[in-house]
Amino acid sequence: MRRLWAFLLTGLALYGVYWFAANRLFDEGSYRKQVAFGSVFVPYGWVYALGGVLLLALLLLLYSLAYVALTNRLQGKRRSPWPLFLQGVTHLFLWVLILLVYYPVVQVVAASFDPTNNLFSFKRPETGFLLLDAKVVPYLPAPSLENYAKLVEGVVLYPYQVGLALLAGLALLGVAGIGLLRRLLPQEAWMDLWQGRLLLLMALAVFVLALLLSPRQFTGQGTEAKFLLWVRNTFLVSGLTGLLAVLLTATAGYAFARFRHLPGRYPLLLFFIFVQMFPGFLALVAIYYLLSRLDLLNTFTGLVLAYSGGIISFGTWVYKGYLESISPSLEEAAMVDGATKWQVFTRILLPLSAPMFVFIFLLQFVGTYSEFVLANLVLTGVESWNVGVGLRSFTTGQFQTKWGVFAAASVLGSLPILFLFYGFQQYFVSGYTAGAVKE
Amino acid sequence: MRHPPGLKGFLLALGLLLGLLLLSTGAGLLAYFLLEVYLAPPGWTILGVALLVLLPGAVALGRRFPWLTDWYYFLPALSFLLVFTLYPVGLTLYLAFTDYSGKRNGFPDRSTETRVVGQEGPRLLLEAPVREALRCDPCQGETVEVYAEGHRLRARIAQAEGAALLLDRVPPFRAGYVAKVNAFRFVGLRNFAFILSQASQALLPVFLWNVLFAASTVLLNALLGLVLGLILNNKGLKLRNFYRTVLIVSWALPGVITVQVWVALLNYNFGAINRLLGVLGVYPIPWLNDPDWAKVAILLVNLWLGFPYMMTATLGALSTIPDELYEAAKVDGATPWQALFGITLPLLEKPMAPILLSSFAYNFNNFYIIYLLTGGGPAQEGRLATAQSTDILISWAYKTAFSAEGQSAYGLGAAISLLIFAITVAISLVNFRVTGALREVR
Repeated sequence: MRRLWAFLLTGLALYGVYWFAANRLFDEGSYRKQVAFGSVFVPYGWVYALGGVLLLALLLLLYSLAYVALTNRLQGKRRSPWPLFLQGVTHLFLWVLILLVYYPVVQVVAASFDPTNNLFSFKRPETGFLLLDAKVVPYLPAPSLENYAKLVEGVVLYPYQVGLALLAGLALLGVAGIGLLRRLLPQEAWMDLWQGRLLLLMALAVFVLALLLSPRQFTGQGTEAKFLLWVRNTFLVSGLTGLLAVLLTATAGYAFARFRHLPGRYPLLLFFIFVQMFPGFLALVAIYYLLSRLDLLNTFTGLVLAYSGGIISFGTWVYKGYLESISPSLEEAAMVDGATKWQVFTRILLPLSAPMFVFIFLLQFVGTYSEFVLANLVLTGVESWNVGVGLRSFTTGQFQTKWGVFAAASVLGSLPILFLFYGFQQYFVSGYTAGAVKE
Repeated sequence: MRHPPGLKGFLLALGLLLGLLLLSTGAGLLAYFLLEVYLAPPGWTILGVALLVLLPGAVALGRRFPWLTDWYYFLPALSFLLVFTLYPVGLTLYLAFTDYSGKRNGFPDRSTETRVVGQEGPRLLLEAPVREALRCDPCQGETVEVYAEGHRLRARIAQAEGAALLLDRVPPFRAGYVAKVNAFRFVGLRNFAFILSQASQALLPVFLWNVLFAASTVLLNALLGLVLGLILNNKGLKLRNFYRTVLIVSWALPGVITVQVWVALLNYNFGAINRLLGVLGVYPIPWLNDPDWAKVAILLVNLWLGFPYMMTATLGALSTIPDELYEAAKVDGATPWQALFGITLPLLEKPMAPILLSSFAYNFNNFYIIYLLTGGGPAQEGRLATAQSTDILISWAYKTAFSAEGQSAYGLGAAISLLIFAITVAISLVNFRVTGALREVR
């Protein structure tokens, strides 16, 4: 019965998709059979592409047949060629997918090195190679760093700031080096310790650097020359928000996890969870009013406080879950020896919780990095924008002339988050999917 | 020392904590208003003074009721929640029943600013006739703001005559200017009635597309994620960690940037996507200019953004299935397909259900992709200006409340967000029911 329903629903959905495609997507009005001016059009190009993929599959088939036949002959076994062929087809599928997934990334990175801004140009290169002429494969006759130069134009760094940046870079190198050593040598305790210390050093150096940079050092003309300032603003706000999230959620998570004797703990938890389901930024006017009463408009403090509304429930929930997975026997033993709850919390649990705090911090950092609605409202003036607001000014303004600069800014603005994500991949993956692996 | 039990104990503790918070806030406000008469302190002195009262108050209260100290662990989070979440949300709920808008926002209207030329107790003499200067008729009962450097005061007009103005209170400073306050009114359920009366132009199509969008994006992402998860979970596959790391890239890039990049890539004439399609023999597609294609574009971009998460979640769920099951199935002579449909998929159901549900809830309110990619457009006939072809509830609310098309009808936007709140809570209740996450807590 259930299967019947499933079939019926799937059929209905597929018919709906078909109807939508036939009547709404590919009807005369929506899909006009005219080639865009200046673009390359190959009639039945998809047949060639499909043929190419099939040809590759055929080659794989021949290869696996020949290889298996050869090894069977040499070793006197009777193995089937199909597993090898299937493995090959899987790799082919994955590579096609990788090409598709990376296509936009490659286009943007290429555009950032292209000084001619040719997104909106009708001119097309005449190289004789089809994919280059169609600009599907980026055509870069003269790659240059001009776009990046525009972003850092007129930035004046003081020597001690350069020193701080170098320190951060060295610490990062150290972390990466230890990471490499971990792969090569057997695990040792000092690796963890020093990796942690170097990371902390780097974070501190970056934070101090962000704090010491001032808008006066960005003397370039035009809004795009303020890009690094926006990055600095974003770092400052995101870092403080992440820190605040850890500070606020630590004690509450501890109390929810361990103070099971408190009556009303459950309704309080419900309150914590459900109050934040209100679409936060729609309370903008109220937040704006509150911040204007407190004279915190156009300050980073005000923005961080405004974010603090949305960061508590998730962190509390995650930290509570983490503490519940730790056996309370150690704490109980300490309590028997006369330790107070506060001592238990600060001496025993806090050191144990460092990975969880890192996770909460990172999540908040990355989340805040992408925020632009509240930031747009609270922070006014080019000098206090964050990355999201700044990039938006490129796309809504005279985009045409700034496509190259926009691409360069996108690349530069993405790098910190990309590094964080790949550096702390296991935190993100385990944290986000915690529900999936819960027994 | 023992905690008073049951509901009484809870209410007592909560009452003491909230009392303490209210007391310190009150002290902060009082100090602020006292100081305001003599000097102009920044508004955040309220918070500072409140903190100064809160800390010793908490210590004193802890001495008197030792059992209360356990509750202090909630205090930092609770006070931030109250001030920066509950208060704005409460205010928004209240505004949902008012006609608050850009024109009626409770702030003084600077275009009615008029200089005060004479002052005698509550009687002010303006430089122009009151009725024309403040644009009010009748002026009696209207709220005005009287201000000078570093001071301001709200008062009602008791009487207006020519250029003379009688206030209902005496300004404690030398008045410099006076301006009318754009007051907003309580309108009851009128905002909700408006939403319902325009349902066919906004609520219904928007809601329908909202549900369709969230459901199909979850379905598409989950399908691709499932396929990839199954492929990459195969231990015989070479380079599987490499593929896993490489394919995750769109998750690792900040969405606010990538979505804006996609806008350029989907451009009709010049975008990289249409260039690629041209080489494949497909005529250019109006990705962002056609109401129906825009929906497809949103789904595709969201697939690009979201499949790594689903892939990772599937891999996590797959790792919980013990290998012995497959070995036993193999011994019994099951084909790989039978193992897939008999073991893997049924066992994936339980761990994936909460992930799919929370993903649905997330996408239901996925403001960023809609706002950054299409801005809710392209325009469609017969709709409200704020609810175009790809608008979902939350972007409709945002545009109603904050954009020029919506005339900044904030009260109306707040009413819509109340609706969203109800739906979100309903989805998460279902989610908690499925996962049993809250039952464990109990």
